Amino acid sequence: MEEPRPDGIRRRGSVTYAPSAQGTQLEVRGLTRTFGDTTVVDNISFSVEPGQMTGFIGANGAGKTTTMRMMMGVLKVTSGEVLWNGRPITRTDRAACGYMPEERGLYPKQSILDQLGYLGQLRGLTRAEALAEAQRLLERFSLGDRKKDKLETLSLGNQQRVQVAAALLHQPSALVLDEPFSGLDPTAVDSMVELLEEHMARGVPVLFSSHQLDLVDRLCDSMVILDGGKVLASGTADELRDSRPLRHRLRCAQDVGWVRGMPGVTVEDVDGCQATVALADDDARHALLQRALDSGLREFTDLKPTLSEIYREVTR
Amino acid sequence: MTSSIDQQHQDSQTSVSRPWLIVMLREITVKVRDKAFIFSTITTLVLIVGLMGFSAFLWDRSSDYTVATDSQAGGQVVQIADSMLSDGDSMTAEQLSRDQARDLVADGDADAAVYQEDGQWVILVDTELGGTLNSTLSSAIAEFSMATNAERAGVGMEELRAGSEHRVEYLTGGEDRGLTTYILRLVFAMLFYMSALVFGLAIANSVLEEKQNRVVEILATAIPIRELLYGKVLGNCVLVFAQIGLYAGVGLAAANVTGVAADLGWAFEAAGWFIVFFVFGFAAQATIWAVLGSLASRTEDLQSNTTVISMVLVAGMFAGIMAQGPWLAVASYVPIISSIAMPVRLLEGQAQVWEPFVALALCLAFGWFMLRLGEKVYQRAVFQGGRSLKWREALKIEQ
Repeated sequence: MEEPRPDGIRRRGSVTYAPSAQGTQLEVRGLTRTFGDTTVVDNISFSVEPGQMTGFIGANGAGKTTTMRMMMGVLKVTSGEVLWNGRPITRTDRAACGYMPEERGLYPKQSILDQLGYLGQLRGLTRAEALAEAQRLLERFSLGDRKKDKLETLSLGNQQRVQVAAALLHQPSALVLDEPFSGLDPTAVDSMVELLEEHMARGVPVLFSSHQLDLVDRLCDSMVILDGGKVLASGTADELRDSRPLRHRLRCAQDVGWVRGMPGVTVEDVDGCQATVALADDDARHALLQRALDSGLREFTDLKPTLSEIYREVTR
Repeated sequence: MTSSIDQQHQDSQTSVSRPWLIVMLREITVKVRDKAFIFSTITTLVLIVGLMGFSAFLWDRSSDYTVATDSQAGGQVVQIADSMLSDGDSMTAEQLSRDQARDLVADGDADAAVYQEDGQWVILVDTELGGTLNSTLSSAIAEFSMATNAERAGVGMEELRAGSEHRVEYLTGGEDRGLTTYILRLVFAMLFYMSALVFGLAIANSVLEEKQNRVVEILATAIPIRELLYGKVLGNCVLVFAQIGLYAGVGLAAANVTGVAADLGWAFEAAGWFIVFFVFGFAAQATIWAVLGSLASRTEDLQSNTTVISMVLVAGMFAGIMAQGPWLAVASYVPIISSIAMPVRLLEGQAQVWEPFVALALCLAFGWFMLRLGEKVYQRAVFQGGRSLKWREALKIEQ
């Protein structure tokens, strides 16, 4: 029964994660939403690639939730479109997505296994399949012995886990998660990331919004920075970093006050033997390093901007 | 096995064929496990059985009268009286001396004493002469005296009685049903009012729960949102019909067991109509409750925005209990209110054969209109958190 499959399907517990042939690409193009005279989302475009995790960042009211709700069809689109593998998304596509809305809570007064079974059924699973998968996910979240408990009796962190389980029950083709990590402790974040990675491994694109920039920095393959309903920057982490002026840290044995006034060198900071600089061209670099050798060069490194820095810079 | 899982994976990509059915089943299973629901159903059942038992007690209470007398003639009078009593009742004579007869009545061991004094019959009682005892004994004495006189005059009893038979005719109904009719009106009105209110609020709360907890957003990605409305309305309709069916069934069984059925048989047709009207009337107003739930943002909002529909139901209840003549006739055509008023008219034998069908058609049309309108409001309002909305406001929302 468990004979190995030539196409390399991995079995985990009761469920087979089949790497999809091409995965799914989720894209928004020129998406706009107005409420009366206010434009909340203003002509934004970005894509979420198969098997990749895309971070959606922005301040409160930047339009993240509105965008996600439009992508999921909860909110009508004023103009623009949502594309699924390059064609307009359909209801069936959306039903195949896993979605975790912003303000959470499933049915507070229903047992968790029971309601997961129901949600699975609505996604086209049979009752038995849905319950089996719910059981598996709950056990994975160490909630196996609480499956008969009402949702409201669980801690907030555990309720959040149930919510994640609800989004993953039906082996979704794409995941749209609004603040999935908020309120979770670091261990819980790690175990959830591990779970998401399993789904990404079979080509599922993941879009999640977050305020935790360090987390986005650590987890995401690419990101979209939103502010005032507009995309300020988007791309892979490297693309975003490369688009910023590169800065360097210089440390020598002696005082480096001499960096000021060198042609082609922009000094951001000097502190005794250490300086942070940006260089205009290779000539400037050459001159700087020559001079630094004389001062007893200890270190010359590229300073990659952290995501927080990029975020602060673009939203400034 | 593995290929079936692949297949299953494929299948899970398509949405379900009848989502309303799944929603409906959840609505039902959650409710039948709800302790308050179980408790109120059982309480009502106990009340129904109790009521039937009580009626049976009132109807069936058999009376055994003991009448003391001091003569053979008295014994014959009691015998005649006994034959005049209805099936359950009986009267037995206790033949003693007059003083003993008096003592028996004084001690309460006999209900009355009959004897002749100075050529006149005397009915002796302690403090009070009951209606039945009075009329039967009086008739029996008259009958006995007549028979004695007839014999003395040499005339046969039949000749004497000739032309004295009579029968009673009623303009409406077959017998005096005033009180029973009134009680049934009360039962119809209360049952519909209570069920509509309780299940209506249940629908509103169920919608509001999903709205408040944003489950509705997850559901909306899986199924068309109107399917959710259909499922909820249908689920609660099924529940309320099952409940009313259970009440009717248990009531009928209790009526048969207690023997009340024979006395109530004439009311069954109207009761059957009541159930049909109940089904239509409840379904017609169910959507309204779902919409009210979607318009509210907190449970407190339901108290204010359900005022109008509650008033309509109260009006329907009072019309059912109290309205007469043309008022009742008008009420029996107004959707929702007709669910009580039309069965009441049928109960009283006032309605023509075609009338209930017209009322049902009107109710159906109203329900259809409410469903179409409600769908529009519901789809918009259910995603709007923050504050309570009005119907008009919700219709203006860009979805």
